[in-house]
Amino acid sequence: MSRRRRARTGWLFASPALLTVAAVTVFPVLFSVLLSFADVRLEYGGFRILSLTGDHYAAVLSSPEWRQALAFTFGFTAVTVLLELVLGTAAALVLERLGAARGRVLAVLLLPWALINVVAAQLWGYLYNGTYGGLTWLCTEILGHQPDILGQPASAMAAMVVVDVWKTTPFVAIVVLAGLMLIPGDVYEAAEIDGAGTWTTFWKVTLPQLRPIMAIAVLFRILQAFGIFDLPFVLTQGGPGTATESLAILGYKTLFQNLAIGRGAAVATTTAAIVISCCLLFLRVFRAQADEGGRG
Amino acid sequence: MNRRAPASGIRRYVNAVNLGGLAIVVLSALPLYWMIVSSFKGPGEISADPPTPVPKAATLGNYAEAFVRNGIGRYLFNSVLVASVSTVAVLGLSFFAGYALARTPLRGRGALMTALLMLSVFPPIALVVPLFLLERQLGLLNSYAGLIVPYVALNLPFAIWIMRNYLVGVPRELEEAATVDGAGPLRTVPTVIAPLARPGLFTAGIFTFTATWSEFLLALTFNSEDGHRTVPVGIALFTSQYTVPYGTLFAGAVAATVPIGVLVMIFRRSIVSGMTSGAVKG
Repeated sequence: MSRRRRARTGWLFASPALLTVAAVTVFPVLFSVLLSFADVRLEYGGFRILSLTGDHYAAVLSSPEWRQALAFTFGFTAVTVLLELVLGTAAALVLERLGAARGRVLAVLLLPWALINVVAAQLWGYLYNGTYGGLTWLCTEILGHQPDILGQPASAMAAMVVVDVWKTTPFVAIVVLAGLMLIPGDVYEAAEIDGAGTWTTFWKVTLPQLRPIMAIAVLFRILQAFGIFDLPFVLTQGGPGTATESLAILGYKTLFQNLAIGRGAAVATTTAAIVISCCLLFLRVFRAQADEGGRG
Repeated sequence: MNRRAPASGIRRYVNAVNLGGLAIVVLSALPLYWMIVSSFKGPGEISADPPTPVPKAATLGNYAEAFVRNGIGRYLFNSVLVASVSTVAVLGLSFFAGYALARTPLRGRGALMTALLMLSVFPPIALVVPLFLLERQLGLLNSYAGLIVPYVALNLPFAIWIMRNYLVGVPRELEEAATVDGAGPLRTVPTVIAPLARPGLFTAGIFTFTATWSEFLLALTFNSEDGHRTVPVGIALFTSQYTVPYGTLFAGAVAATVPIGVLVMIFRRSIVSGMTSGAVKG
């Protein structure tokens, strides 16, 4: 078959998927940018753009709510992704060495990951409940006084991190496990002949080999954590006060509670812009590092 | 040589790896155990202080309440329908697109892959505003199609990415043999390549199904009317009263977790193997 015919087959096969993605993501994003400069009125069954002279960005960027949501979202993303990377790698290393029990342990580990986010949030909400929650009871036994876990800003944030880490570490673990299984055995044999101990082997052999796949896991996690919505929506409703209000929650409230379409679009567009910038920056830094290390 | 003497008895099992495995099982399963146990507790016992690790008087009342009074069956039906149709559509579209990206000389393939990677976790909040207005205009709010179309599009990029990376590793010889016999790509790709790509399809399918089964933001904003509510929305709206009816809530949650739990148990090996073959070659 000629190259040109094969290229044509390629486009034929790829275009239905690409057109679907473009129609539901690219086009709405452009529409969202348009809306962020518009004054929109909701009407029965539809909407009308009144004018395109509005600029909601200045109002959004200078508002304390937006700054607080940005700070919370950044902090939450940094802490959870770091914890999940460390714990997920540890879990993957354990799974790789488990032998016969691996399949069963893997299945149990995957259950929290497969659980509906909203269910996880409700379940932990019950465990954190101030009067009869299992974790509150446990903390009372240990501390000697009853903590108000979801009622205090600092502990509410920590509680949210715990749920996210419990729920999402399995994702990082399976990705890293897949990476571990690709490392050829002779690399380890060479390290053993050189007399490298367990720790040296891990730092000098395993970790560098895992870098590309860890980068992918971290990228996915950063993007997901940055858009966090279900967990604060159900567990704390963004509270106490606005302590656990993420950018997605702020966008939702602006849009559906205040019905400020243009302003909501500005919050959403800003969030997307930050995520995409972080993503591009990450890929750039990572590629530069990988090239420096002599690998592609 | 410092070869260790074989450990005997119980010491054979007490090592860092087995303790780690035990920790994984306990930490993952304990909250789930608590949810299952609580779903069988009566109204008094669920808020008992101190909490009881095993129900003193187990009851099925919560399940009756969840299915009869709260109509969780209807939400389950909606979720199964939306998640299954979305998954089948995603698999069909991503398989052909993945094949095209893996095997045919498309121009700008690298840029396309990077763009897909970013779109795959595009923050849904950025899409909710325009999509809500569009669906409102088109009369798609509170319909199955109004959720399925965005779910397909949002899950396609990651699925294409998995499929493409998987297909890169499938040997070309079998495909070439079929081509020599005179079959065109429209014939060979579904009949010859698809069976070879099964682990990749399983992985992409599981990721899509769990993601659509769990999706909340779009389901909440687009399909909040009772007849079209999916499970996550139904369960989140349990709390709209002053006290949370945890017993009923957990009965519903257990019912919603069983299908996905069974899928994960069945396909646990392919989840990792599908990732393994594809993960790093991207």
